[in-house]
Amino acid sequence: MVPDGRLSLLVVDDEPRILSALCRTLRREGYEVLTSETVEGALRVLDARPIDAILSDQRMPGTSGMQFLAEAARRQPDAIRMLITGWTEEIPASQLEQLGVRALITKPWDDAKLKATLRRALRPEAC
Amino acid sequence: MHIVSIDDPERALARCREAAVELVIVDLEPGAERERWLEALRREGRPVLVAGAQADGTPRRLREPGPYDDEILQNMNSALLVIDTDACITACNPPAELILGERADALRGRSVRRWFAGDPPGEDWVARTLAQGVRFRGAESTITRSDGTRVPIGISCAPIVDSDGVRLGVVATFQDLTEIKQLQRQVLQAEKMASIGQLAAGVAHEINNPMGFIHANLFQMAEYVGDLRRVFSAVDELRKAVARGDTAEAREAAGRLDATAEETQVDFLLSDLAKAIRESQEGSERIRHIVQDLREFSHTDTGERVLADVNQCLDSTATIVWPMMKHLVVLEKEFHQLPSVPCFPMQLKQVFMNLLVNAFQSIEEKIGGSSETGRIQLRTEVRGEFVVVSVSDSGAGIAPENLARIFDPFFTTKKVGVGTGLGLSTCYSIVRRHGGTITVESQLGRGSSFEVLLRIEAGETPDDGA
Repeated sequence: MVPDGRLSLLVVDDEPRILSALCRTLRREGYEVLTSETVEGALRVLDARPIDAILSDQRMPGTSGMQFLAEAARRQPDAIRMLITGWTEEIPASQLEQLGVRALITKPWDDAKLKATLRRALRPEAC
Repeated sequence: MHIVSIDDPERALARCREAAVELVIVDLEPGAERERWLEALRREGRPVLVAGAQADGTPRRLREPGPYDDEILQNMNSALLVIDTDACITACNPPAELILGERADALRGRSVRRWFAGDPPGEDWVARTLAQGVRFRGAESTITRSDGTRVPIGISCAPIVDSDGVRLGVVATFQDLTEIKQLQRQVLQAEKMASIGQLAAGVAHEINNPMGFIHANLFQMAEYVGDLRRVFSAVDELRKAVARGDTAEAREAAGRLDATAEETQVDFLLSDLAKAIRESQEGSERIRHIVQDLREFSHTDTGERVLADVNQCLDSTATIVWPMMKHLVVLEKEFHQLPSVPCFPMQLKQVFMNLLVNAFQSIEEKIGGSSETGRIQLRTEVRGEFVVVSVSDSGAGIAPENLARIFDPFFTTKKVGVGTGLGLSTCYSIVRRHGGTITVESQLGRGSSFEVLLRIEAGETPDDGA
């Protein structure tokens, strides 16, 4: 948590327009939103500062969100992990559970549902 | 007796003129040319014997049909023609009448060239059998009826040779392939639709990304409009107060306007609204492109070959297939300048897509679930008379015992529901139709490399029997 009490959220997607739209959606949600278009960039952020929650795209060039979240878990085990995907394939629930993925969001997302899902995932005590 | 052998009719004639020749034996290929030389030699007043003619000097001929021949001919399902050395029809049966579109009496004695003049000429199997005395089996050709309609046929030709080995003519059997061709086209289309099914997931993802941000942006823009309306109603209150000349009220309204502007972050709102619109426009443009590509891909070719850029065919196919594989694959392209190739571009794209999807699935089989990445290499170049397209992958490779069977219809090593087993066999027939070849090199565990050679000049691959 940053000094002003806002929760920090790291969003990773190789599609800059998705990042831009997610920032717009979350503008009034009171999070400190950080973005990265690459897994490397996201890992640098994780090495540089504490992060409360991570929301990652599943399919990215040369890697997957699951692989990135596994690496993120090694660096910051306490960070809440969430996945967002436009892919129609099913990710086995057991794998999500094993990685401690708190929420799976599909693209295109419903604005209100996304906000509610994040609130539930990040502030379970408030819901 | 003094015998002189001369291999040139011209010199033989000259010899007849200058010396006392008792007998001329002519051994020329039957036909108009031979008749001309026989005529000329006979004019010199020399006795002439035609090689292969019967003892009484009459040229050997195809015998008339015997007692059972007619029953056999009439009851065959295949069309049959007996053709003499002058390419004239001497016997035919009802299926032949049906396919050629003429009654038997209109066929007998007529030159078969009228129907069989192949296009391209290399396909004239009857003429080739007459000229070369070689048997052809199951070749594909086209018949042109007198009304100009063309009928695809499968044809087998065999020379008719008498007991002395003299060529008397050709027997040709053939079938109308119209229906089979139609079925082939249907299978081709079905196979393509199956591959499009595989693509659908990838395309859905590619559309879901822009849909995702357009959808979210629209939500936000609706909120922005709500905020802007609040700002405008504050402006309106201020305008009314000013119009009334109520200074105190106007001052208050100005204060409320400032507060609303502050609260709604109106400056940010206006600039971000423009940005959100721009980004959404770009997203909808992307979706339009994806849908257009897909629609183009599901088209079928017209019946005619067109000149097309093979690099472009390969590249646009790679663009469609890319989303389904980008998380696992690094795609390397090495395209060289190519001449335009007469082809059916949609069919070529189908070949390229099959090869790309196979390459990806092979990589997925090898490294799926691990953190590795695979590699697919696309390469084009000109090699002699051919344009060469190669698709190489770093996937699982093909077991040696399967290598010989991969182009067989319905052969597949994929799981049920993943492949039709028709992909590579379709590739094979499409490439053959283009006068090309498709070959594979593979090492189990290391990957496979498919090479497609396409003839730069139009032409079909001659049948194996040729």
